Amino acid sequence: MNFYTTYFLIAIGLFAFVALFTLFGVYAERKLSAFIQDRLGPTEVGKFGMLQTLADIMKLIQKELIIPAAADKVLFLMAPVIIFVAVYLGFAALPWAPGLVPANVNIGLYYILAIISIETLGILMAGWGSNNKYSILGAMRSAAQIISYEIPAGFALISVVMIAQTLNLQDISMQQGILSAEKTKFLGFWDVSANGGILAWNIFRAPHLIIAFVIYFIASLAESNRAPFDIPEAESELVAGFHTEFTGLQFALVFLAEYAMMYLVSMVGVILFLGAWNTPLPNIGAVHLANWTTGVAWGIFWIATKTMALIAVQMWIRWTLPRLRVDQLMNLCWKVLTPLAFLCMLISGVWRLWLM
Amino acid sequence: MSLAQVLFYVMAFIVVASALFVASSKNLVRSIFMFFITLFGLAGLYVLALADFVAVTQIVIYVGGVLVLILFAFMLSGKETLNVLQQQKSKFISLNKLPALLLAALFFVVMVNVILKSDVDNVYWVKMVRGANRQIKPNDLMTDNIGINLMTRYLLPFEAISILLMMALVGAAHLTRKEQGTV
Repeated sequence: MNFYTTYFLIAIGLFAFVALFTLFGVYAERKLSAFIQDRLGPTEVGKFGMLQTLADIMKLIQKELIIPAAADKVLFLMAPVIIFVAVYLGFAALPWAPGLVPANVNIGLYYILAIISIETLGILMAGWGSNNKYSILGAMRSAAQIISYEIPAGFALISVVMIAQTLNLQDISMQQGILSAEKTKFLGFWDVSANGGILAWNIFRAPHLIIAFVIYFIASLAESNRAPFDIPEAESELVAGFHTEFTGLQFALVFLAEYAMMYLVSMVGVILFLGAWNTPLPNIGAVHLANWTTGVAWGIFWIATKTMALIAVQMWIRWTLPRLRVDQLMNLCWKVLTPLAFLCMLISGVWRLWLM
Repeated sequence: MSLAQVLFYVMAFIVVASALFVASSKNLVRSIFMFFITLFGLAGLYVLALADFVAVTQIVIYVGGVLVLILFAFMLSGKETLNVLQQQKSKFISLNKLPALLLAALFFVVMVNVILKSDVDNVYWVKMVRGANRQIKPNDLMTDNIGINLMTRYLLPFEAISILLMMALVGAAHLTRKEQGTV
């Protein structure tokens, strides 16, 4: 029975982490956007306004739950739960450190791709359940966008899988550092199995994966519905898109799902391209920096730091770039990203056959 | 009963109950969303049968693709059409349900026959595998097996299907294209 207690503890721990991250993430986003727009951001609650999001959450929890009279009650109440649970399930397969992974599934990456696609269903449910034209327009836009951008994202991921030869996220992480069982080559010619560090990361094992990473990053922005791909929410056109009608706890759940999704896609990007929980410091001669900075605690530290850095870039992009129009969005996806992703996949095949 | 058996019965119940709801519900949207639960339950059954790759593929294709497409078609069609669909006469037995009833009954007979005639405990190939001790174990790598078989033994069907899909894609692109000069 001990077995099951551990499982529950891990699940609760992951949920606590997601909630904490959202608290921190909302505050960070508000401060960052304030800095970019030359404002101050939250300053009143706590030192530097640090307790602002806590106060917001308290407010959201106390709010009355309002169900619109014409809404489909069951769908309306279920939708935020499905949106959040879909994202939360994805966290089960993410590795945090050597030997530390909630569920070591051999098809982890495929599983995460599948789980992400469930979120679309929750969003459509929210849009239809609200019985509001803005909601349904937002939901349709969101679904169209997520489905389209899954294709370049999927092919960018496949080009990594072709290099790594496995779908197991823990194995993919293991290959990108000093713990690798096989030979790791920097740019295909310099053997860096003993050096590790930044040189062994996937984006440097094969240089075309840098392009694949950029494609994945753009597509991941679209999949988490964030600017410049936020036409599903488009405040100036659709009020708030698919979550217009939600209040209180339901709105909090939708918000939690958005931040959890940001973390999930960034962490998948880090695992596949940026060395997962491996240290960026290589072994140089007698200075064994990589050996000193590899371990369970270091692993968690590195992967969290890298993921947060990627999320910071997401926020930076959100507050600097204007929103794309829907035809520009589809043009970018189908005419630029998808052919490029195909090309990356092709190069991956050739690279694996001849250079590794 | 072992935990796996309990899980099997729970999931089988979910699948059957939600499928019944899908077929009998008057509210079309709710039945589509209920179908999602049916598909998810089926994926669970696949996992219990050690076919995790098939389970995840089921979710990717049916939940992420087909179901969303059905919803799209539903939401894009006009409200009047849907109202006509939803206001059918609620008689259980009527003449226009006869073909469906007949088909269902025939299919039911076939299914019952299959269950009665197949001697599940003594199937030839199951016995053969058991004799050679080649059963699939929970820790086996099934994805590698699928990949290798797709690229060797089943290469021709695989390629044929990919060409079929390619044709469908080209056709879809052609249909949505604007004619030159009529913009």
